Amino acid sequence: MTAERLRAWLLRGWVALVLGYLMLPVVVITLASLSRTSYLTVPPRGLTLGWFAKVLADPEYVSAIMFSLLLALVATAGSLGAGVAASFALLRRRVPGGAGIAALLNAPLVFPGVVVGVALLQFFALIHLNGTFVGLALAHMVITIPYVVRAVTATLQGIDPELEHAARVLGASGPVAFFTVTLPLIRPGVVAGALFSFIVSFDNVPVSIFLLGAGQMTLPVKIFTAIEYGVDPSIAAISTMLIVVTGVGLAVAERWIGFHRFV
Amino acid sequence: MRDGSGWRLLAPALLLLVVAFAVPVGLMVPTSVRPYVPLVGITGGFTARHYVKLLTDSYYLEIIGRTLALGLTVTAATLVVGYPVAFFLARTRSRWRNWLTILVVFPLLLNLVVRTFGWMALLAQNGLVNQALRALGLVQSPVKLLFNFAGLLIGLTHIFLPFMVLVLIGAIQNIPRDVEDAARVLGASWGGAFLRVTLPLSAPGIVSGSILVFVLTISALVTPRLLGGPTYQVMSTLIYDEFLQRLNWPAGSAQALLLTVIVLALVYLSGRLARGTGARA
Repeated sequence: MTAERLRAWLLRGWVALVLGYLMLPVVVITLASLSRTSYLTVPPRGLTLGWFAKVLADPEYVSAIMFSLLLALVATAGSLGAGVAASFALLRRRVPGGAGIAALLNAPLVFPGVVVGVALLQFFALIHLNGTFVGLALAHMVITIPYVVRAVTATLQGIDPELEHAARVLGASGPVAFFTVTLPLIRPGVVAGALFSFIVSFDNVPVSIFLLGAGQMTLPVKIFTAIEYGVDPSIAAISTMLIVVTGVGLAVAERWIGFHRFV
Repeated sequence: MRDGSGWRLLAPALLLLVVAFAVPVGLMVPTSVRPYVPLVGITGGFTARHYVKLLTDSYYLEIIGRTLALGLTVTAATLVVGYPVAFFLARTRSRWRNWLTILVVFPLLLNLVVRTFGWMALLAQNGLVNQALRALGLVQSPVKLLFNFAGLLIGLTHIFLPFMVLVLIGAIQNIPRDVEDAARVLGASWGGAFLRVTLPLSAPGIVSGSILVFVLTISALVTPRLLGGPTYQVMSTLIYDEFLQRLNWPAGSAQALLLTVIVLALVYLSGRLARGTGARA
């Protein structure tokens, strides 16, 4: 029995170490953002919230945040509409070649982001859509739609189609039955898909970086290029803001829909 | 149900994927066989030059080899580090289980640039890792951990570890506890039961997790760029520079298509293997 206990404690110790490793960069960035020094240092020397104020007063950062939020909202709305409809059609309607279509809808997930980025760079240049918001939004819908399809399909598979049938028999039209019966039932999947979609769009660098036009800048690309120019605590400050927002968002999503089930 | 309604529902998604994904990717094929003249640009005609160069020139072969080596080592590292964690999270009855799982998910959802930036701070000459190594007396002078293989390995392992753990949790949860207990009752030691029962039964998860991490590693752009700098190149950063710095789109298209072929071959293999192990189990 002692060997058993020892093994259990060793395993717990390892899990704690690995979780520590996973959290290490998060802790380091948060600490670095509080330093009074003009260079990045951990542990921080002197404490200040000045770098946060500096970032929030920087019009470049503020407009990048706004642009990223707008792009993620538009992309999520688009991929949610198209993705929910497609998942429903693939599971509930007999469509010839359904397996192939499902594979196509999931393909952007396995393609390297950089390949999608350069392919769209060339294509948009060809059809004069380069540097436009429309092009960027379409690109983000392409890379986010697999997440919507996956989450919605997973939930829809667990819902008895007879429930919607019953509504139809009782006189509801197709759309009414969908919106009043099926949609409320698959809400957790739709919410998870929307969250994934938003995060994937908001975080994207490898596709955005090829498609941003003059005067357009997303937040992650802004941070990415800022790091290449030189590192200071203001980058740690904006990173810490993202850490806090992501952490709070994830905790809320976990309590709301049991987010871990969808990962 | 009427046949047309399915197509109408599919139309927006299908249109999007064909117009803004399949066609653009397909168009890279003709581009990759166009001659490129510096300062002039893409010219008409046909050439296999970009592919020949990519597969024979030692500069490119080194980058391809490095990318694949990185894929293999990162995969092995995430597997070794992540398996015990997945095992614990799949088997524990702790009421903290969901929140511990969320702790694994959290880095995954956190902005990739932010996570990589954390590693830049950690791995720098005067970063926390070097400070710790010196404080422990393990090294005298700072170890170079940025812009080389070690740095990329540490950073990429961190980035892709959650994927491996999550896939393995799913696989291990699918193994009934009874099977292990039966092996123990029949006289197997803990190690014997693990090696001959649990580990083989989690093989489908190991295979799909490994292929997933390998594919993600060789596709990664942001982390190799920031931790490797402009000189320590992998395939993704090579493609990035070809398109945005050197403006040689034909060569870049050839490189992008090679990377895509490698990735798709592995994903196909993964599907075949999954079906194979599924049939045997």
